[in-house]
Amino acid sequence: MADLRTYTIIYVLLLVLGTGKFVFFEFDFAYSIAIGGTILLAVAKIGLIAAYYQHLIEEPRSITYMMATAVFMVFLLTIAAGYSIQ
Amino acid sequence: MADLPPMTTVKRWLVTTNHKDVGILYIATAIFFLLLGGAMALIFRIQLWEPGGVGILSGNEFNQAVTTHGLLMVFWFLSPIASGFANYLVPLQIGAKDLAFPRMNALSYWFYLFSGVLLIISFFQQGTFAGGWTMYAPLNVPTYTPAMEATTGGNAVILGLMLFVISITIGTVNFLVTIHRSRAEGLGLWNMPLFTWSWLLTVWMMLFAFAALLAALLLLVSDRVLLTQYFATDQGSSLLWAHLFWFFGHPEVYIVFFPALGIMFETFQTFTGRRLVGRKWVIIAMVLVAVQSFLVWMHHMFLTTINLEIKTLMMATTIGISLPFDLMVFALIYTMVKGRVRFTTPFLFSLGALVLFILGGITGVFLGAVVLDYEFRGTYWVVAHFHYVMVSGVTALVGGIYYWWPKISGKMYSETLGKLNFAVYFIGFNMLYFPMFLAWETPRRVFHFAEGAQIYHQVATVGAFILGASFLIMILTLAKSWISGPDAPDNPWEFSRTAEWAIPSPPPLENWDGRPSYASGRLEFVEDSPAATDGGVAHGQGNQAEAAIEHEEEHADHASIWPFGIGVGTFVFFLGLSGLTPYIIDFAEGTPNPPEGLTGIAAEPNIMYPILTLVGIGIMGVTLYKFGMERFEVPEMKIAERWPFGGVGNTKFGVWVFLASDVVVFGAIIGAYIFMRIHMGWHEWTTVPFASWPGLLNTYVLLTSSFTVILALVMAERKNKKGLLGAMTATLLLGLTFMGVKAYEYSMKFADGEYWWYGLEYSIYYVTTGLHALHVILGLFIAVFMIYRIISVDAYLEDHRPVEFFGLYWHFVDIVWVLLFPLFYLM
Ligand code: HEM
Ligand SMILES: [Cu+2]
Repeated sequence: MADLRTYTIIYVLLLVLGTGKFVFFEFDFAYSIAIGGTILLAVAKIGLIAAYYQHLIEEPRSITYMMATAVFMVFLLTIAAGYSIQ
Repeated sequence: MADLPPMTTVKRWLVTTNHKDVGILYIATAIFFLLLGGAMALIFRIQLWEPGGVGILSGNEFNQAVTTHGLLMVFWFLSPIASGFANYLVPLQIGAKDLAFPRMNALSYWFYLFSGVLLIISFFQQGTFAGGWTMYAPLNVPTYTPAMEATTGGNAVILGLMLFVISITIGTVNFLVTIHRSRAEGLGLWNMPLFTWSWLLTVWMMLFAFAALLAALLLLVSDRVLLTQYFATDQGSSLLWAHLFWFFGHPEVYIVFFPALGIMFETFQTFTGRRLVGRKWVIIAMVLVAVQSFLVWMHHMFLTTINLEIKTLMMATTIGISLPFDLMVFALIYTMVKGRVRFTTPFLFSLGALVLFILGGITGVFLGAVVLDYEFRGTYWVVAHFHYVMVSGVTALVGGIYYWWPKISGKMYSETLGKLNFAVYFIGFNMLYFPMFLAWETPRRVFHFAEGAQIYHQVATVGAFILGASFLIMILTLAKSWISGPDAPDNPWEFSRTAEWAIPSPPPLENWDGRPSYASGRLEFVEDSPAATDGGVAHGQGNQAEAAIEHEEEHADHASIWPFGIGVGTFVFFLGLSGLTPYIIDFAEGTPNPPEGLTGIAAEPNIMYPILTLVGIGIMGVTLYKFGMERFEVPEMKIAERWPFGGVGNTKFGVWVFLASDVVVFGAIIGAYIFMRIHMGWHEWTTVPFASWPGLLNTYVLLTSSFTVILALVMAERKNKKGLLGAMTATLLLGLTFMGVKAYEYSMKFADGEYWWYGLEYSIYYVTTGLHALHVILGLFIAVFMIYRIISVDAYLEDHRPVEFFGLYWHFVDIVWVLLFPLFYLM
């Protein structure tokens, strides 16, 4: 397990990243930049939470692969379905 | 806790958590549903005797019969009977004493049974669901169901199916943990028996596929009970359903077929006295099929408006998936050619299954071609195709019954009767389904067809009765064996090699005396002295004395009544939900903007249903609490093969598997949002929340609660009770704050009369964030339970794992919010 300091730093980071999304949309960014930026921020946040708070980095890699497979399934479904009606 | 009562008592079957008992319960219940589904089929086959029907069923009754026949056979018979075999045999084949979570296993069974009871009850709620087993939109929602017809019964079926899926999910977690983490020493994955292999891949497919179905059903239930609009709009609803359903549905056809395939491999080996030819390649082929099964689903949508590019792609992947199947078929044929075949009853059924499968597979390839499917779609060709493949699976499963009956019952049966059974079965099967190819121009699910096809339908109807009779012969054969058959030896088959045949028939409660091990290359039973056990592989530290105590205490529980209790509670709750639609409609009519076209469609409100809902919640509350408090020992195997999931405990791995399925459930629901938004035009979308700041505020709240949960874990590790209590309480308060903000946000919309039926965007917003809120609420219940345990018995200071597991769940809920916030409040 990481120590309290690491967890606190991550907490602060998460707050900043969360605010970042809001900033993208509330201030004058182009819609596409806002969306792209938000996706990046969300991915970073999810990565931090999963890796440290759920401490995936300390578990056998196979658990990460399993979760990645689940995420892949979602992307597969959503992207293929979205593409099918283009 | 209590000791397990003898098999002759009813109580035994209510409290048992033993895998063999649960297996028997599954098999018996599945056969009951087979008979029920069969009865439906016989009734509508009579109706099909002449074009336009002979008049024993009204139009709507015919639809009900066809629909429930399909649902019963696919869901309540095929998968569960395979589950039954897996329950009984997989632990035996891998050298375990039971599944990883025996009480959860019993819970899966009770959920399964009660889900089926819901379906049966639906017939008596003014008619059951009539929209076909595929439940295509928009025929699956109240707006498009004729007035007063079957809304309540239809709800009960959909809710029943949802309960069934929950049962499957629990079973999936259990089997994945078991097969990955409880294999006897020396039993690497490559050496695992083929039935277990097929089941392992089945549960992996189930994990992801059924999660998509659960998502679809959640949305459908919300449409039917709460009047949301997912499947009622003219803007992509039917495509949305088709995508969600077939993303599940195509893997499902392999899910039902794989266990049958596993049985074919086992019986071919046993009765040809030969190892399967190309065994390794067969395993690789199965893995490939499992992966590819998720890449072909749109071959069920060739006649929808999806674009030609994706259709072509799906045609290619569909052809691709038949290749590994060819390999398996040839492996079976060569095994037969190279071995010396003994035509016993189980072998005959397996061979029959192979022949039928080849025919079914070939006709499937026709359907996989886009142009041909333009002709075949919606006709009896499809009906004939999938009955050849699916009921080929049933054929092998019947073979499985004959193969393992001596092991399970401890009795031998009459080979003559068994062979008679096969003959009648095979003749009935082909008389029933082959004419459907010839009558292929008949549209499916209606009883009107061209005069010229009448003779084929009549042959089919006769065949249906012959096939039905063959099952009576089966039951007779087995009953006779049970009453007066000779005792079965440990191993009645000369060349069987798997571990279940190395122990008595029927096996004792805990399966083995010694510890099964394959370390020497073949099955042996070793006696471990306590010191050797603990000094060796698994634990490391721990002195002799501790080891001895541990050995003393290694007692496993086999009985708990609470899974049954939870089953009853959930059943009552779901039954109550099925009748709430009229109340919601009443409520909606009192708001400024009631949904259009819904007035008068529901049954009369019946006060029984709200009462049942509340009673169900009450029973669930009590039984879940009791379940949580019960001491139930399940020793984890000390020495086991665990690749690739060594290094985590059983429960933690189980939590992760569950989360993987939840990722797909939530992902599919978020996917539904994205799909519908793309369909509508991304920028046409109306943002629903009145402002984005509540979303941001709740982001902060949830992130902070994630931090307090991790703090709780740190405190538990430090054995700091005050800190643990404080952190958990903070989490609880933050969760409540989140719900408070949510409630405020919803109430702002309600004040303007904008409820979830106000438009598609509103439905999606309320349902998605509502489902997330439901996760928060469930988490809060767990938190309250844990706080109570900390206060009352200083819990989690010695063993902090439950705090960690709760955290895993809670962080997941946080992660979902990371996505929902931008999707619903910003974009
Ligand atoms: C060689 C392998 C297979 C191919 C290429 C194939 C292809 C297809 C295609 C293209 C369809 C859609 C037809 C239509 O609705 O127009 C279909 C339907 C179906 N197939 Fe297969 N299939 C194969 C194997 C199987 C297996 C093994 C099973 C089950 C054990 C199965 C069960 C079904 C079912 C249930 C349907 C109909 C679903 C419905 O609309 O109600 N298929 N198949
Ligand atoms: Cu398919």
